Amino acid sequence: MSEPTVSLTGLCKSFGPVKAVTDVSFEVYPAEIFGLLGPNGAGKTTTIRMMLDIYRPDRGQIAVFGGRLDEAKKDRIGYLPEERGLYKDLKLEPTLVYLATLKGLDEATARKRLTGWLQRLDLWDHRHKKIQDLSRGMQQKAQIIATLIHEPDLIVVDEPFSGLDPVNTRLVMGIIEEQRQAGRTIIMSTHQMYQVEALCNRIVLINRGRSVLYGKVDEIKRNFAGNAVVVTGQGDFSQVAGALEARRENGAWHLALAPGVSSQDIFRALALRDDVKVERFEIAEPSLDDIFVSVVQGAGAGEAGNA
Amino acid sequence: MRKFWLVAGDEYRNMTRQRSFIWSTVGLPLLIAAITVIGTLIATGAGQAITLGYVDQAGVILTVAATEEEDVRFRGFADQATARASLEAGEIQAYYVLPADYRQTGQAQMVYDRNTPTERNRQRFDAFLRTNLAADQPPAVRDRITDGVNLILRSADGRRELTEDGWMNIVLPFIAGMFFTFATMMAAGYLLQAVTTEKENRTVEVMATSLSPLDLVGGKAVGLMAVALTQLLIWIAALVVGLVIAARFWPEVAAVRVPWGLLGVTALYFLPTYALVAGVMVAIGGMVTETQQGQQISGIANLLFLVPLFLIPLIFSQPDSPLMVALTIFPTTAFLMIVMRWGATVVPVWQLAVSWVLLVATAGLSVWAAARIFRIGMLRYGQPLDLRAAWRAVTR
Repeated sequence: MSEPTVSLTGLCKSFGPVKAVTDVSFEVYPAEIFGLLGPNGAGKTTTIRMMLDIYRPDRGQIAVFGGRLDEAKKDRIGYLPEERGLYKDLKLEPTLVYLATLKGLDEATARKRLTGWLQRLDLWDHRHKKIQDLSRGMQQKAQIIATLIHEPDLIVVDEPFSGLDPVNTRLVMGIIEEQRQAGRTIIMSTHQMYQVEALCNRIVLINRGRSVLYGKVDEIKRNFAGNAVVVTGQGDFSQVAGALEARRENGAWHLALAPGVSSQDIFRALALRDDVKVERFEIAEPSLDDIFVSVVQGAGAGEAGNA
Repeated sequence: MRKFWLVAGDEYRNMTRQRSFIWSTVGLPLLIAAITVIGTLIATGAGQAITLGYVDQAGVILTVAATEEEDVRFRGFADQATARASLEAGEIQAYYVLPADYRQTGQAQMVYDRNTPTERNRQRFDAFLRTNLAADQPPAVRDRITDGVNLILRSADGRRELTEDGWMNIVLPFIAGMFFTFATMMAAGYLLQAVTTEKENRTVEVMATSLSPLDLVGGKAVGLMAVALTQLLIWIAALVVGLVIAARFWPEVAAVRVPWGLLGVTALYFLPTYALVAGVMVAIGGMVTETQQGQQISGIANLLFLVPLFLIPLIFSQPDSPLMVALTIFPTTAFLMIVMRWGATVVPVWQLAVSWVLLVATAGLSVWAAARIFRIGMLRYGQPLDLRAAWRAVTR
């Protein structure tokens, strides 16, 4: 494997008495889309901000492009933050040209590239409008252009699909995949698990400031196989002993198992109940959604149990 | 430095294209033009030549040639009845009566119909009268009597000189001081707006990952100072043109001399004062969540810089009192105090030196503290940074 584009080791960050990040480590390599996952308040955004030198960590090591992030390296980064916006009272085209020049492009190159991007993202006819007059989805697409126009080697996108309709979501997913194929490193933070499954090669799951799951998506899914079962039958399967979560999908019940609970335990629990009749019972390949719920809620249940 | 200048250029372009900037920049020169035109019209009697009559019962007026001017003419009458008839007929604006004992008493009367002659036209008649009174004297004596005493007030150290008709030289430093102070406050106000707008628009994180805090805040500060200086230059140009035109009609304006000393002091004080105000504004911008909130707080902070405006009568009557000296040394009031005292007294060199050193030190501290507060406060969306947190940001 080539040298990692980003390497974080044992990051810690506190804000007063609040420990936002206690131990986060991962590496991200060129030509991969890396999923940065976690529940709200887990420490994802703080981790990104430390990685990009917006916050200084209290402890830990950060290497971007093989070393400390300096001013020259900033031109090689495209960042779409979670808290994002553009200058509302300015016009779209000059704003994007300005942001591109701040990333090291000369104005002529910026204008040339911008033409292609505006046409591709269907914003060409709106280029002379003030940003405040654009819809939320258009503003989101404009910010994606600002993130990518300087062809950065490292792309960090936080919830890149928020505010986009399904057509534009698909368009942006295609663009992200294109960037990966061009050899760029992409770190994507999102809560939309099906997009992570569709795009990401590897993930890290951060919970309560720690990396709790880290590796290739397919390996993680294999490791978690057996941690969910699919049941069809008659009766209410929403409350089953040993299941962390139950949800209905296409007429079947999908049960995510609590840590330490096997599919046999669930089977036995169902066999003992008179109020339900099982017609089909199978071990499910867990979705990332199941794994997310299992790990996050499991950690919560574990801590509650230990308390 | 490339990004620094990109930010500065962008701020300059965006601000100077705003309608509010264009209106405020053009508005003042228009006001000066209007004042100049109206003042000139009043001074010249609305551009019409007028005639002043006189009834010389004392026999003092022998000739009119020496003081006859195109826009003011003098006409003698044999008696008051003829003069009054001429006044009522609108041929003259007023007439003077010099009684028989005028040489002994110096008492004279002026009779007018609707409008009194302007101060300037009355002065013309005075000069006309003096010329005639001294007509039988040798030319050198006559000129001396006509011109009067040209008193020059000079301070003991020779740094300051004031002529009798140079009262504008007292007022001008005051006006210049006001101009520069308002330019400073205006630029700082723009900076506050730019910083809070960055926060409101959620562009801070993108900026922080594109350029250094110095490029971002410094570029904005320089760009906005250039905006203020542009406005100031336009205003000064308008003022100079106004003064040049006014000098043709008012001798007091013609007596104005370029205050090189004051200009030097202004050059020395302007930048550190701007840096001090800019630091305060960036700190406020880093602490608040909305532009409006920032403007409210900055309004209070501005008072720290504008205190001398409330003390104008004292500055002119007691320019060297301990309070004035203290305010001259205090960094936030130093600039305005010095330019205002400049017209009223001689500011000792030690006061200039101490206040400048203190001002530069405070300005450096202000910028340093502002950068720390801005760095901590910029990502607190929707959450203001309280004073305790700001203090922690500065002291840790």
